[in-house]
Amino acid sequence: MNESQHLSSQFDEDLARLRTHVLQMGGLVETQVSSAIDAYSTGEVASVKTIVDTDRKVNELEKAIDDDCAHIIAKRQPTASDLRLVLGISKIVTDLERAGDEAKKIAKGVRRIYENGQMPSQYGVGIRHLAEAALAMIRQALDAFARLDTEQASTVIRADSEVDVEFKSIIRQLITHMMEDPRTITTSIDIITIARAIERIGDHAKNVSEQVIYVVEGRDIRHTKEVAK
Amino acid sequence: MSAQIIRAILLALLTACIALPVGVFVAQWAGWTVFCCGLALQMAFHFRNFARLDRWSKSPVVDSSLEGEGAWDGIFGRLYRHEKDLRQQIADRDAEIVRIIAAIQALNDGVVLLDLGNQIVFCNTMAETQLGIALRTDKGQPIVNLVRQPEFISYLGQEDFTRPLILRFDRKEDHVLSILVIPYAGNRRLMQVKDVTQTDRLDRMRRDFVANVSHELRTPLTVLSGFLETLQEIEVDPSTQEHYLALMTEQAKRMESIVQDLLTLSSIESAPPPTNDVVDMASLIDKLRRDAEALSAGRHTIVVESDGLGDVRGNEPELVSAFGNLVANAVRYTPTGGTVRIIWKASPSGAEFAVEDTGIGIDAKHIPRLTERFYRVDRGRSRDAGGTGLGLAIVKHSLNRHQAQLEVKSSLGKGSRFAALFPASRVTGL
Repeated sequence: MNESQHLSSQFDEDLARLRTHVLQMGGLVETQVSSAIDAYSTGEVASVKTIVDTDRKVNELEKAIDDDCAHIIAKRQPTASDLRLVLGISKIVTDLERAGDEAKKIAKGVRRIYENGQMPSQYGVGIRHLAEAALAMIRQALDAFARLDTEQASTVIRADSEVDVEFKSIIRQLITHMMEDPRTITTSIDIITIARAIERIGDHAKNVSEQVIYVVEGRDIRHTKEVAK
Repeated sequence: MSAQIIRAILLALLTACIALPVGVFVAQWAGWTVFCCGLALQMAFHFRNFARLDRWSKSPVVDSSLEGEGAWDGIFGRLYRHEKDLRQQIADRDAEIVRIIAAIQALNDGVVLLDLGNQIVFCNTMAETQLGIALRTDKGQPIVNLVRQPEFISYLGQEDFTRPLILRFDRKEDHVLSILVIPYAGNRRLMQVKDVTQTDRLDRMRRDFVANVSHELRTPLTVLSGFLETLQEIEVDPSTQEHYLALMTEQAKRMESIVQDLLTLSSIESAPPPTNDVVDMASLIDKLRRDAEALSAGRHTIVVESDGLGDVRGNEPELVSAFGNLVANAVRYTPTGGTVRIIWKASPSGAEFAVEDTGIGIDAKHIPRLTERFYRVDRGRSRDAGGTGLGLAIVKHSLNRHQAQLEVKSSLGKGSRFAALFPASRVTGL
């Protein structure tokens, strides 16, 4: 085996491992989000602690992956698609980590609401629907990254506007409730925080998808109206 | 010395034999010329066959027209047979592989083959649907990239695979998978995936059942014994005593109805299949309407929509209790002013009995578990409404015995629709 082949296959292995680490981190974030939703529906405040603990692991992974990215750039000087992959990954982990933080925010909001009394049932359906849409987005964005599937990535980007619309309608509904009955303001504010966090998770999923398109096609479609053809 | 060499020497000697008389009798140079020409002819002959063999070896095809000449015939023949055997073997192996893959596809469990880096080598369609992967696009992809649940990743990362991993799969709502990794051929791994959602649910139901029965019976019992103690120890005036006795009777009735429902359930379960007597639906529905009106006491609008066609064949008491339960539920869970619709009509596959209400509705996540014994969407509320928690279990069982299916549609706050779908074989007079 000659030297350059050996080196490049070692490099391929490094990149594959990096990707697997990113997806492992993604898996943790997915679990965080879905257990945050469960905590919201069931009121099991105990799972809040697990979500916070998972967040610590996510943070560690983020640092480790960033470190790996720096190493690969320094040691291998990747070019073209390899370089895009490394750059894309370093952005994706930031978004994933923030999505994890948002999940933590949801969990803490849920704990606050249940500690102060009962979860008002009238928001249950809307919020859960919103949350499930956001969870599906993050899952699909990670699938798109695993398969480097730009079509799936564009689906996620398009889905984000639906989540935004739904978020706005929930906020409108909450405002009406607050105006009708000022006693609900405390709880309503907590619910707004939760809804906002969910909506942000959708945004992060969208950012991850945009990076996937950048990694595969080299097109930077951030802040443009252009969604992959 | 092989036959080929002897043959070559003999041919050279033969040429020499022809050339020698020519050399002696004509001229020496003529003899040499004849000898050289003879050898050259032999060379040309061999070279032609050699060239053909060379050409063939570059793209070996099984072609019976390929025959060698002279000494080459044997060589060509053997090569031809060898090539043909090889091809036959390859075809047999291919067919065998196709059969083995078909067998893996036919398995009821999901199977995923993984190589050293946990990369997907092969998986059957069952595994594709269970895990949400696709062999066409995901071959060579590490499985942890797609099935990312932390429990799964740590299970794959460990060394001991004696126990399967029970995974609450997050891609499909409420799916429980049992995943077992079996190492084979050194470092390779076979992953067996079983869908244990049903078993898991049954296990939980069985556990819950005993706990529920005891709980449901203990609640009224506690009330009873509480009052009994009071009555034994303290002198109470007759009106209070009467009040206590009324409450005790109520609780005793509750216990009685729970026991009655349990007995009904077990008798339905163990009874022989229902008879084929024709049940007059018109009068049955009329009775249901009267019962509903009595229970509602004017708080709801009861509407009957019947096309008057067809009667059900089956056991009348069982059907009465099943339909009665559905109607009673609709009345109980619909606020004052709502509408309850009793529908009986022919459907493409037979006939349908449905009860629609404009009540509180049921959250989608409760619907699959509604027919479980003692399953309650809202514990406090349903007991206040006077339910035993066994009604829908009885409905489901009696409908099953009539080959009918219970279909539940509901949306929170808007109302529910419970429909019993009877197959054509159970309906007469259509």
